[in-house]
Amino acid sequence: MDNKNIITLEPSIFTREFNAPIQLVFDAWTQPEHLKNWMFPQAGFTCEYVSADIKSGGSSLHKMITPDGYEMWLLTKYEEVNSPDTLVFRQYNSNQAGDILPNMQMPTWPKEMRATVKLEEVGGTTKLQLIWQAIDPTKEEAETFEASRSQHGNGWNGGFEQLAIYLETL
Amino acid sequence: MARARTTFDPFNALAEPKRRALLEALVVKELTVNQIVEIMKWSQPMVSKHLSVLKQVGLVSERKEGRYRIYKVNAAQLKPIQKWVIQFEQYWSNSLDHLEVYLNEVQSKEVKDG
Repeated sequence: MDNKNIITLEPSIFTREFNAPIQLVFDAWTQPEHLKNWMFPQAGFTCEYVSADIKSGGSSLHKMITPDGYEMWLLTKYEEVNSPDTLVFRQYNSNQAGDILPNMQMPTWPKEMRATVKLEEVGGTTKLQLIWQAIDPTKEEAETFEASRSQHGNGWNGGFEQLAIYLETL
Repeated sequence: MARARTTFDPFNALAEPKRRALLEALVVKELTVNQIVEIMKWSQPMVSKHLSVLKQVGLVSERKEGRYRIYKVNAAQLKPIQKWVIQFEQYWSNSLDHLEVYLNEVQSKEVKDG
C-alpha cells in the first residue's frame, strides 16, 4: 500500500486511582483467578479464562458471556509484563480456538489496538493510567476511532442508557 | 474531508449528533415528519435529510398510513450496534469500575480473614 500520509491518532487515556497497594493491582491484571472477577465491560457478564500465559511474549484466551448467552472471545497478546508497574498488551476478537477474527459488526474499527497500563503507588493508593492506541490505523480506521471517542462526552451515554432500557423490553 | 460512506455504515451515520438526537426521539415513539419538525424545531428538509440517512443504514424504518409516512426505530439493527458500543467504547471505563469494586472486596475479605 502506498501510504505516504502518516495517520496521527491521539490515544484514548483512562486514569484511575485505586485504594489498594500496587502489587495487588498488578496481580489483578495478570492472574486469571483475579481477572475473571472484573475483566468484563458490563455488570451481569461473566468471564472465563481458558488459557493464560501472562508474561512478556505470552498470550491468554478468555470469553465474556453476556446475560443473554452471547459469547465474545478475546485473545490477548502480552508484549511487556513487568511487575509491579507496567503491562503492555494487544487484544483481539477471536473464536474459541484463539484465531483472530475481523470485527464483524464494525469492519472499519482499527484492526490492532495496544493497551499500555502504567501503575504508580502514591501514599498507599495506586494510580493507574491506561493508554489505548490504534496501531498503524488506516484513514478509515482512524475516523472510526475518532467518531467513537467523540461520543464519550456528548450525552451519548445517557442516550444509550435509554436505548438499552428500550432494547431490554423487546 | 470525504465522509461519503455515511450511508453505508450505521456507526458513522450515528457519529452525527443531530441523527443521534433524532434516533433518541424516535425511541420514545413513532413519529411523522411533521411531528419531528415540531419536536426537534428543525426545518423539514433537514429532518428529511437525516431521516433518509438513518433509513438507508436500516436504523429507521417507515410505513404508510393514509397520506402519512410514519417512522420508527429498527431495533434489530440497533441491537448489534449497542453491543458493539458496550464492547469497545465503554469497555475500559466499565472494566476499570469493576476492578475498583473487586479490589475493595478482596481487601475487605483479607481484613476479615486476618
